[in-house]
Amino acid sequence: MNKRTCTALAALLAAPLALGAAGCSGGERQSDDGKDGGRKNPAAANAGAVLGGTPQKGGTLTVLSNQDFTHLDPARNWVMSDMDFGTRLLYRTLVTYRAAPGAQGGEIVPDLATDLGTPSDGARTWTFHLKQGVKYEDGTPVTAQDVKYNVERSFSPDLPGGADYAARYLAGAEGYRGPAEGKHLDSVKTPDEHTIVFELNKPFAEFPNATVMPTFAPVPQSRDKGPQYDNRPFSSGPYKVDSYDRNKKLVLVRNDHWDPRTDEVRKAYPDKLVVVMGLKANQIDDRLIASQGADASAVSWGALRPESAAKVLPDAQVRQRLLAESQNCTDMVQMHTGRAPFDDVRVRRAVQYALDREAVMTASGGPAFNDPSTAYMPAALFGGKQPDTLKIPATGDAGKAKELLKEAGKPDGFSTKMTVSSGDKGRAEAIQQSLGKAGIKVTIETIDPSAFYATIGDTKNRTDMVYTGWCPDYPSGSTFLPFVFDGRFVKEKGNSGNHSLFRDDATMKRMDGIAAMTDPKQATRAWQQLDGEILAKAPAVPVLVRRWPLVLGTNIAGAYGQTSFGGQLDYATAGLKDPSRSQG
Amino acid sequence: MTTTAPSPSALPTGNGPWRLARRELRRRPSVTVSLAVVALFLLMAAGAPLLSALAGWSPEEFDKNAVDPYLGGRPIGPLGGVSADHWLGVEPVTGRDLFARVVHGAQVSLLIALTATAIVVVTGTAAGIAAGYFGGRTDAVLSRLMDLTMSFPSLIFMIAMMSVAKDVNRVLLMTAVIGLFGWPGVARVVRGQALSLKHREYVDAARVGGSGPWRILTRDILPGVSGPVIAYTTLIVPGMIATEAALSYLGVGVRPPTPSWGQMIAESVAFYDTDPMYFVVPSTCLFLTVLAFTLLGDALRDVLDPRSSRT
Amino acid sequence: MILYTARRLLGVAGVLLAIAAVTFTVFYVLPSDPAAVACGKSCSTDRLEAIRAHMGLDRPLWRQFADFVTGIFTGRTMGSGRYALHCSFPCLGYSYENSASVWALLMDRLPVSASLALGAAVLWLLLGLSAGVTAALRKDTLTDRALMVGAVAAASLPVYFTSMMLIYGLIRVAGLLPYPQYVPLGDDPLHWASNLLLPWLALALLYAAMYARQSRSSMIEAMAEPYIRTARAKGLPRRTVVVKHGLRAGMTPILTLFGMDLGGLLAGAVITESIFGLPGIGRLFYGALSTGDQPVILGVTLMAAAFIVVANLAVDLLYAVVDPRVRY
Repeated sequence: MNKRTCTALAALLAAPLALGAAGCSGGERQSDDGKDGGRKNPAAANAGAVLGGTPQKGGTLTVLSNQDFTHLDPARNWVMSDMDFGTRLLYRTLVTYRAAPGAQGGEIVPDLATDLGTPSDGARTWTFHLKQGVKYEDGTPVTAQDVKYNVERSFSPDLPGGADYAARYLAGAEGYRGPAEGKHLDSVKTPDEHTIVFELNKPFAEFPNATVMPTFAPVPQSRDKGPQYDNRPFSSGPYKVDSYDRNKKLVLVRNDHWDPRTDEVRKAYPDKLVVVMGLKANQIDDRLIASQGADASAVSWGALRPESAAKVLPDAQVRQRLLAESQNCTDMVQMHTGRAPFDDVRVRRAVQYALDREAVMTASGGPAFNDPSTAYMPAALFGGKQPDTLKIPATGDAGKAKELLKEAGKPDGFSTKMTVSSGDKGRAEAIQQSLGKAGIKVTIETIDPSAFYATIGDTKNRTDMVYTGWCPDYPSGSTFLPFVFDGRFVKEKGNSGNHSLFRDDATMKRMDGIAAMTDPKQATRAWQQLDGEILAKAPAVPVLVRRWPLVLGTNIAGAYGQTSFGGQLDYATAGLKDPSRSQG
Repeated sequence: MTTTAPSPSALPTGNGPWRLARRELRRRPSVTVSLAVVALFLLMAAGAPLLSALAGWSPEEFDKNAVDPYLGGRPIGPLGGVSADHWLGVEPVTGRDLFARVVHGAQVSLLIALTATAIVVVTGTAAGIAAGYFGGRTDAVLSRLMDLTMSFPSLIFMIAMMSVAKDVNRVLLMTAVIGLFGWPGVARVVRGQALSLKHREYVDAARVGGSGPWRILTRDILPGVSGPVIAYTTLIVPGMIATEAALSYLGVGVRPPTPSWGQMIAESVAFYDTDPMYFVVPSTCLFLTVLAFTLLGDALRDVLDPRSSRT
Repeated sequence: MILYTARRLLGVAGVLLAIAAVTFTVFYVLPSDPAAVACGKSCSTDRLEAIRAHMGLDRPLWRQFADFVTGIFTGRTMGSGRYALHCSFPCLGYSYENSASVWALLMDRLPVSASLALGAAVLWLLLGLSAGVTAALRKDTLTDRALMVGAVAAASLPVYFTSMMLIYGLIRVAGLLPYPQYVPLGDDPLHWASNLLLPWLALALLYAAMYARQSRSSMIEAMAEPYIRTARAKGLPRRTVVVKHGLRAGMTPILTLFGMDLGGLLAGAVITESIFGLPGIGRLFYGALSTGDQPVILGVTLMAAAFIVVANLAVDLLYAVVDPRVRY
């Protein structure tokens, strides 16, 4: 989950700033080019810009992918890129993100709704009015009842995987199992076809931010086919599914009943979108770098592989077509604070000192595609730049780590295990290597991404260390620190966020205090300060913030990384320079 | 490592035919060369810690100065970073020494392959002799079991088992899993041999002479089947090495950062064009070892297995 | 012959049942929880239980197996109410991960794997047999030596190495072929073939080498048989002797090998499919493993076993046709 903004970040990246000078890569990077003592980030040149100018209407935009979507059913779609694809092309939500590069992409604008919602009862009740004239692909109008129906669907055990905002905030939602057996949620009311009212279980001033989730997209009851709906979502957006051959190909064509006058976000330039799936990731990179023939009108679904960086970065021609927006999620090593040896703060601090962030960055594609992290919350929540309160060198300090271990009564170090998603294996090996220098022997358990959260969410059987990340859902500390460090959110199974199982009374008390603050500026400062306080207690080690590098075909226009979708291409505006060059 | 060379002094019986075999093998240049290659890799595997110490790098040690972080960690210098410091260059991204990794990879790959082979040969021989010599119900049950095992889609099943098993010793598990599906092949060969030996005069003589079945099996039948078994063994070693590599290639093999050839190749595939050296080094090792074992097995079969060396 | 076939068919059913039982036990007992995987990032205990009940994972293992086996013959209905799923005969279970019945998934992927396997088989038989027979007939000449050295070398090359070299040489450098991207045969036969050419080559090279070696030795063996000598002595043309007598007798071991290989490949060449990004059964299987999609794992294993067993049966029956010495 992440959607957020970063005001100053874009400016920071656009500036030709030497990374070494940004206090990121420690003091000992030998400059081997010797010209300016460091190197500017060659990947960040296009940050905040729209590549390729304004697209022409028409043509076929091809998306090359090494995988299938996890879920396109709006009740189940909770993967950053999939949400981008679903909500930008196939279905509309009450509220959505502005289609703009850089920080502006984090702003929310009305979509199905006429405004950003009206709170009442101290933000315990939220009312949205739907626009007139919004239609499905068969020409029937979108109703408030359909939005309510999809919210209800998201509770079905037959339809797992979706965001849990509705479950977390709607009143009387406990034990609700979806509409399949004819039961409905009383806390969502639809007084007429164009009005929907949500009754929450506690005041929630940021509720509109949650209604960008596909959970709040309409699904007409007559079209609902349970789990099969995933294979053929019914469109309320500018495109509809023409054919969907799972794991092979998805073809979208225009939904003629979509009315651009009701939609200020989606531009819908191409006539057709074709997603080709199951390709090899490195072959996708090669094809887009070469950008020959039909591949000129193609984009990659997944991020550029780190291995391909050597083919992209030295080549100015290719670099012009490179997007590398920050994902704004912090990768962390989280330690099980409830168990020995990590119940000792000195041991945890030893890990903070031992970890060589620079090595992990290299394993992650290098400083061009990553920024090192010195705080938990990503730079966007610090107004553009993370503070460095601990002043640990980016390459780590094994000596200091050993000292701390000796103090903790472990002069010979210890052995432990770390669970990582299989895609993070290289990063994990870099961590393993650097901790090994301080005498901490780490065994790596790699888990496939799909099973990763289930594995680390099982707090009893998981390893003492996990490598995972957290993304703020929108630019507020309230979507980061409480999720990651509030001990009251810890669950025995299906635990998420607080993988340190950090239960610190002072921290929790402070979080409640900040949540009650009415002045947003004061709250922001308080979150920032709390971040540093938690860092000193070392439940986790912040490692890095990744970017989402994408190489575009030469015929692609209107392209930028949407900051709210983890830097994925914004499908609301992407199109072709010259539609006649694309192949149907 | 008992499976490689049928060194005559190590074998207990009948020096005559073995000496003959040895002379026959010496005449073939392919045998000499492949023996040398096999010996080289075995030595490399056995002396891995020593060799990598000599080169100055442990297989898991990063060398940040050897790679360029801005180019996705591409090795600095020609041929994937070959230098006096790194004899075969370095791994991209991490800068780990390729020589040290390939040498340690040999250890893991060969250890798994040879142990699995040993399991297969011991189980297969035991089952084959039992089925062939005792016949009747024992034969029926064992033969059914062989048929069943051979009907298993072994690679698919191996991948599946490796991928679901979590908290276990990967090397051990991999050895066991690979060994599990190989034995019926050996068992069939041995069963056939045992069937034909069972009624030879010298076996009958031993039986009449009051030898127990155990004694007959170990003293009379086993030596009789050893020739074909040795040849067959050498021929399945390459298959075992390739299987280990395939499993590691698919990411269900040994855990990082432990190197094995298959795993190294899997990781280097992504760099095959940007850093060909990284891809070529482990691939060549795998190729040479498999090739050498195959050639050796061919020769041994010709010489030791009278049935197929009829030509 | 009929009795023999019937008895063998019965055996096939038994073997498949045994394999199903073993696979079922192994994958349903091992610690992986498909419900937790489906549940996603944030999953309450309550919801997890509900999903587990919905998938039928709360039932005793033997009941799940019994349901599975009966489902194959009668079809099954899973869940109830609006979202009830009907999985019709032959029901190999339902993949929640793919929102489709396992049978439908297998049938969807089979054409890809079959295209790959059959195309490669044609190539390797052509290459392998001709090389093997040529070498056998020119035993101990330079041609024989060269062919056999080449065969041993090709057989020793791992398929991923050959594949990468082919991709680099023919796609990247020469630009002769497109990056493989499966096109159904029915859509466009020419594109079907040109897209599959590389995977065919990569697979065929490996197998051709093995077949060359095998066919050479069986040919040599066959040509030394007394009846061949008789045929020659009768003055039959060399060609007739080789093709009608030698090759026919020498085919038996090749046939065995071919049955096993083709049976194995039809159910998916995991590595080749993954290197070339072909959406066949191997890829389906590999994907299912990573998501813990047990119904698909079980389905693919069973199907692969079925192919192997049936191929073996077919080969045994064909023996009688190919080799006049065999009678049932």
